[in-house]
Amino acid sequence: MISSQALAVVVVAVPLVTAGLVVLAPSKHLTVLARTCAVATSVFAVVLVGLAVKDAGHPLVGHWIVVDAAGALLLAVTAVVGLASVWMSASFLQGARSSFVVEGHRDRVYYVVLFLFWAMLLAVPLAGNLGAAWLLVEATTAASALLVGFSGKAHALEAGWKYLILTSLGLGIALLGIAILAAGVPSGGVSGLAWGRLATFGSGRSTALTAYLLILIGLAAKIGWAPVHNWLPDAHSQAPPPVSALLSAALLPTVLLVAWRTDRALAPLIGVSAAQRVLIGFGLASLAVAVPFLWRPMAFKRLLAYSSLEHLGVMALGVGFGTPLALAGVALHIVGHAIAKALGFYAATPLLAHEPRAARHAVSGIGRTAPVLGATMGVSLGALSGLPPSPLFVSELLILAGGFESGRSWPAAIAAVLLALGFLGLAHATIETLVGKAHRRNVTLLPGLRLVTTLGGVSLVVLLGLTAVAPWLSGSSFVDALVRGVP
Amino acid sequence: MTGATGWLLVGLGLGVVVVRRRSIAVGLVTTQALVLAVIALQQAGPASDVVAGLALAMRAAALGGLFFVAVVRSRESQPLRARVTPMVRAGVAVVFILLLTALVPAFGLTSRPAERAVLALVATGLACAATRRSTLFQVLGIVLVENGLALAAIGSPHASSLIIELGVTLDLTLIVCVAALFHLRIFSEFGAGDSAALRSLRD
Repeated sequence: MISSQALAVVVVAVPLVTAGLVVLAPSKHLTVLARTCAVATSVFAVVLVGLAVKDAGHPLVGHWIVVDAAGALLLAVTAVVGLASVWMSASFLQGARSSFVVEGHRDRVYYVVLFLFWAMLLAVPLAGNLGAAWLLVEATTAASALLVGFSGKAHALEAGWKYLILTSLGLGIALLGIAILAAGVPSGGVSGLAWGRLATFGSGRSTALTAYLLILIGLAAKIGWAPVHNWLPDAHSQAPPPVSALLSAALLPTVLLVAWRTDRALAPLIGVSAAQRVLIGFGLASLAVAVPFLWRPMAFKRLLAYSSLEHLGVMALGVGFGTPLALAGVALHIVGHAIAKALGFYAATPLLAHEPRAARHAVSGIGRTAPVLGATMGVSLGALSGLPPSPLFVSELLILAGGFESGRSWPAAIAAVLLALGFLGLAHATIETLVGKAHRRNVTLLPGLRLVTTLGGVSLVVLLGLTAVAPWLSGSSFVDALVRGVP
Repeated sequence: MTGATGWLLVGLGLGVVVVRRRSIAVGLVTTQALVLAVIALQQAGPASDVVAGLALAMRAAALGGLFFVAVVRSRESQPLRARVTPMVRAGVAVVFILLLTALVPAFGLTSRPAERAVLALVATGLACAATRRSTLFQVLGIVLVENGLALAAIGSPHASSLIIELGVTLDLTLIVCVAALFHLRIFSEFGAGDSAALRSLRD
């Protein structure tokens, strides 16, 4: 039987090989090849996730590869969203009118870069040391920046440029923190940067705290936490919808996992309280910055981007509170947010064909002019707003309860107020989008609508299923494994 | 690494923040990267250090060539005037350097001058990216940060992983290549590599 380690290599290798095959394949077979290989990648990933969850108490820990509960969670999310994004890409490409590259190579270049991005993204949760994790996160930047600017239009170039420069500088600062850690870990080399060895850092608490802050601030620029989030709304709104889904649902929480593991590894050195305060600070700042934007009429994809800022803030709070209750909430939030947010971005492809003004302006009355599309958008927005019985309502409750349980009553209370305000803003946007004033619109052929509708139905079932299992999550062996982290 | 070498590296970085012409800035950054490669090869112990040093030299040559092509293919009728004068830019860079060196305690490189040079190069890169309008200068800011981090790897007391070092070099080179590609597309779309033109997406 294949080992978890070998399976981890296969999960990353399949999309990498696919990128190579896409270069060689005839143009007419690109979509079939991409979809077939995406299914294969996801099947391998799901098998690996199954093994990791089944044996959550005994994670695979090596210098290069780690397969633990938190990694399995992010791997599952990335695999499923990646698969759906590859399937939705054909609809996007069908309607795309311009691109970064010459017309004849457009689809091929898109799939090559998408599979490279997906491969790097799948590898991040499996990285066994901080150095490798940084390398992989930086590699996602190069690929995803090309995808953000893929349309080649002025706005896309602007968004891609901001994303590239801000996240590269941020990751440069994070690398300075890693270099400081590497210099102070006695064993040096790869083993010195392994998650479990970071606590052997021997240059003192103040130096460790400095390194931790540099790493967290640098990663925050990539996660999109306020106040270093400026690239996020632009990149999410200008990227092709399947890429926006991967960016928001998979990339941001995956980089958050790197911050989470760093936090856990260095907490014994710098003090648990100091480490948690930084995460809680980023969480509250992100919520405070996001909420006013959720109240404003805004282009649909931009609204989803600000919702990402809010939800990544909620995840930061959960990790910062650090109790089993809060971490159960974080696990639920990561999965629920990924499903609802990816569905929202996928719905943008038929939406933009139905109402081209939606690229720049808030839209209303979609439920009146395109009921099926409106219903799908309603599932996404309703879940993201935290409207019961959305699993995000339950996860936010768990995280807030975890905050009070950990004795951090003030941050939890402030977060509760901000979340209530965010809910009202997004609920208003949902009502306007679905049943507001309707305009005359194109209703003939909406690309990708059938697939989006199917995904909407599946997502609704999964979201309700998540809500149903949520009460049993806290206290499960999976959450126990999340609390323990990488040994 | 001696104090004089550190000053040389920081001086080259400050030059990039101050100079007006892109070609001169590219020359300064390439020289800085080559100096780093020479330091790495001089201090090289095991074969892996030599490979890492050679990779730095190749990176310096590749980036120099890439930037040269980018400058030639995006010639502007007149240089972009920065919003802040060279003296103010230099002042911002010096303030960044003083702040970073004051805030970051000794972290265990082989010498304190090496640590200060690392922090100064990172600060100079950030100042360059923050104060220059030209997109090419913003990419050069990233390279200055990268050069500082390369110096940190050279000055580390432990034998670091060759795979990680080569990976970092490759990754950062890749980022700069993508940034150069964007610079050329921005130039063809807007008629100038001017970051001030990239401000239409606001809420």
